[in-house]
Amino acid sequence: MASSNIYVGLEIGTSKVCIVVGEVRNDGAIKILGVGQHPSAGVRKGEIVDSDTVQTCLHDALSRAEERSSVEVNTVFLAVTGSHVKSLNNRGTIRVADEQMEITTEDLEEVKKIARDVPIPKENGYIHSIIQHYFVDGQDKVLNPLGMLGQKLEADYHIIHGVKTRIQNTIRCVRDVPLEVEDIVFSPVAAAQVVLNREAKNEGALLIDVGGGTTDYICFVDGAVVASGCVAIGGDHITNDIALVLKIPLARAEKLKVTHGSASLKNFEPGEIAIEGESGKTVEQELLNQIMNARATELLSVVAEPLEKDGLLPRLGKGVFLTGGSSLMKGLDEVASEIFGIPVQQSGSASMSGPSALFENPQYATPVGLIRYAQLLDEQRPKRGALSKLGQRFEKIFGGGK
Amino acid sequence: MIEFDQADSGEIPAEASAGVKVIGVGGAGANVLDRMALEGSDDARLLTLNTDVRALTTSVSSDKIQLGATLLKGMGTGGDPSLGRQAALEAVDEIREAVRGNGMLFLCVGLGGGTGSGAAPEVCRIAREEGVFLVVFATMPFSFEGERRMDQAKEALDTISRYANAVITFDNDRMGELIVPKDGVAQAFAAADKIISQSIRATMNVVFRPGIIRIGMDDLLAALDANDSRCLFGYGIAKGDNRSLEAIEQALKCPLLDRGKLLNEAKSVLVQVAGGDSMTLYEVQLVMEEITKHVGSETQILFGTGTDQRLSNSLSVTVISSIPGPDAAKRQEPETTTAEDSQPVSIGGPGLAASSGAASIGVESAPVSPLAQSIEAAEEDEIPPSLSGEVDAVSEPEQEDESEEPVNPVDEDADESVIFEPLDEEEKPAYSPDTIPVVPVLPEQQTETGEAESDEDLRNPIARAMESANEEHDESDLSGPVASDSDSSGSSGPVPTEASGVEAVTDSSQKITLSRMVSSGNTGKIKTRTPDEGESSGPVLPPTTPPAMPKDDAEPSDEARQQQEMLQLEPAAGKGRFAKTDPTIVDGEDLDVPTFLRKK
Repeated sequence: MASSNIYVGLEIGTSKVCIVVGEVRNDGAIKILGVGQHPSAGVRKGEIVDSDTVQTCLHDALSRAEERSSVEVNTVFLAVTGSHVKSLNNRGTIRVADEQMEITTEDLEEVKKIARDVPIPKENGYIHSIIQHYFVDGQDKVLNPLGMLGQKLEADYHIIHGVKTRIQNTIRCVRDVPLEVEDIVFSPVAAAQVVLNREAKNEGALLIDVGGGTTDYICFVDGAVVASGCVAIGGDHITNDIALVLKIPLARAEKLKVTHGSASLKNFEPGEIAIEGESGKTVEQELLNQIMNARATELLSVVAEPLEKDGLLPRLGKGVFLTGGSSLMKGLDEVASEIFGIPVQQSGSASMSGPSALFENPQYATPVGLIRYAQLLDEQRPKRGALSKLGQRFEKIFGGGK
Repeated sequence: MIEFDQADSGEIPAEASAGVKVIGVGGAGANVLDRMALEGSDDARLLTLNTDVRALTTSVSSDKIQLGATLLKGMGTGGDPSLGRQAALEAVDEIREAVRGNGMLFLCVGLGGGTGSGAAPEVCRIAREEGVFLVVFATMPFSFEGERRMDQAKEALDTISRYANAVITFDNDRMGELIVPKDGVAQAFAAADKIISQSIRATMNVVFRPGIIRIGMDDLLAALDANDSRCLFGYGIAKGDNRSLEAIEQALKCPLLDRGKLLNEAKSVLVQVAGGDSMTLYEVQLVMEEITKHVGSETQILFGTGTDQRLSNSLSVTVISSIPGPDAAKRQEPETTTAEDSQPVSIGGPGLAASSGAASIGVESAPVSPLAQSIEAAEEDEIPPSLSGEVDAVSEPEQEDESEEPVNPVDEDADESVIFEPLDEEEKPAYSPDTIPVVPVLPEQQTETGEAESDEDLRNPIARAMESANEEHDESDLSGPVASDSDSSGSSGPVPTEASGVEAVTDSSQKITLSRMVSSGNTGKIKTRTPDEGESSGPVLPPTTPPAMPKDDAEPSDEARQQQEMLQLEPAAGKGRFAKTDPTIVDGEDLDVPTFLRKK
């Protein structure tokens, strides 16, 4: 392998298709070489509903990305999301062989296999299984049990799964471009790689990626993923709400939202706003805010509910990180801190070099995160080249018949 | 071969060996037997029956009977089952002699050919007459062998399953999938034979191995419950430290189990864990935990464990179960009750059964006198009483008679799937006694599903729309013919599908429900409509009829509500651009509708 690797992250979002080309240097630093994006069409709630249209957008974004980065893109890491993506935590247990005592890599593989073996719906497939921590003979929070002595090895895994066919549809769409999909990544998992630093993950943090069609979240406690998920509500819903309540076209509603809207009910100057293009029609700032506030409150409550039920919120020392395009909405952080009762900050990705101004924008958290994810993947499995990965994939596909 | 001799003379516990014989009929059966002999069949004596004398001489089993010595002069049957049957009849005394006195018979046969399909049913009949507990392992031909052979095989299987206490079928087509394609033919067939011989061996072990928690014949029958079922079988044996998990892993890896996935569908699963003295409770527990991961929550787990010196420091796991075969899925419902009836009485607790021995159970299930036996056989297999006397005398016309009997329900089901067709009134009453007891169950389930639906109503408007669309169709159709009869028959069929429907509603998330309900749209419709028609029986209910009875009231209003909600879809359009997307439902609220409007 060359001294530096080039990875490409692709996110087919509800509002935009975004391709980020990044170079990972051998010292671990990431340099963004180029970005191509295109407003997307044919995507609803994070899932492709019109493959042809999406391909057009994809081609466009791709050619821009290739042009700017001077890299020919062949394989991509693909971010997936959608309300079908679910997650759960499961513990696997194995008994380490008597004579052996020392825990080996095989044991870890085995325990992973067992932990993964949870009843998920037949039509679902695994997207990620992320190790949380190991237990060795009841001693908890062991991070690396390899070589430890023990009789009983347990592992808690966070398992993210989704409906296979839906994911495959997305993959197929990308393959038709043609681009090879090297791996699929659940969007917030990718975003977390760049938005949350190690400290945040260890102290506990909730990342909420409010996108166009979906809101994805991932929750870290003690450095491990404890919850993740996707709510199929995003910025589009807010635009839609405004359009429906005020009975104006979507495009104007969008503009109204971006320029004047706020999710906060507190800090605004009351007054009338003239709606562009609608002669003489005005809207009360208060009404607009109420519409947006209602939606934002509900959305964040939906996210907060399961976390609260599991008692996770008090354990989030670093609080909530809002990211994603719709997190730019005014007043959202206010609503969030009301609902979660913990500090909230808006955040894009950090610590990259390149045309950086772009990447501090929370809109790019996920695609840039994909690069970082790819890098981590590579570090974890240094010996595995792209070829053998491909081989493995084939094995996965064809091995099922055995 | 040497091992085989040893087995013949050897140190077999008298109790077990007295009863067991494995019979292979035809070429395929002989192959399996050879495989068993080569691997050292410890417990049973082997008997090969064949027409082809050359094949017979190469067989390594201890006893051999040549079929049709005069008829065929030592040649094969050339694929003609009638020749095979005659050949078997020619040797009927020898066969009877060989069969007599055994507590248990395993018969393995490859169906489709002449000897197998022709002779095996005869052997089964004889075994049945002799009151021997009979388990048949039948291999169905490859589909590329042609329809004719498949038909022959099916016909033979039909007959066999009437005589045998349990039939386990292996599909050669499936065997093909199990084996790496580039393996040589010989290897492939050897692997198939191995699977079968392993199954036989394991079944024997399961039943005869002395156990702490014993598995008896009754458990085995329960696990192989459904007639015409596809047998799921897994066997794993492992040594070493992680042996319990390795063994179960191996067992689940067995091709017939499909990585344990198929166990999900099974009604009951028999699991036996056996090991040497060193086996620990923890290991048993591990195995069982692993198993429970693979079976549904409804599934009955028949569990047995025992120690076996011969296993020394290895541990073996045997998993036996069955799921309805593709054909059986439909007719399973009417038959399961009878299958349960016909099962031998299970004796006391498993602990008690331990000492009494399996052979006795076998005998119990099969009364001694051949005549009584045949009647018993007839009853068990639902042969109309009028025919039961003739079992011995005339077997062929009867076969034809009966072969219709199981086929019928299938046809009926086929009718039902085409629900819009007016049903034939002449035939149905015959089934009404069957169906009536089923009906009372329905309203309950109905209300359940009704409730579930009302929850679900908001969730998937599309499915609902489909459903109510169906209903509309149906109404227009039903308003023509009088519906009372079609109801009762309609209720008999959909019961199994209904169950799956309920499951789909309850255990899956919204999206999945949607697809399933759409796919089972027809049956779903039947179940929602059946009760109210069943109750009002005669007159066709126009939805507008002013409801007098409280019950009647409930149903139409339910329907009306559904329709109303469907209508609402349009005006509730408050969804704007999300109108045509998958709804996002949280706590019963459609989040695509502006929060602002909902909260007001």
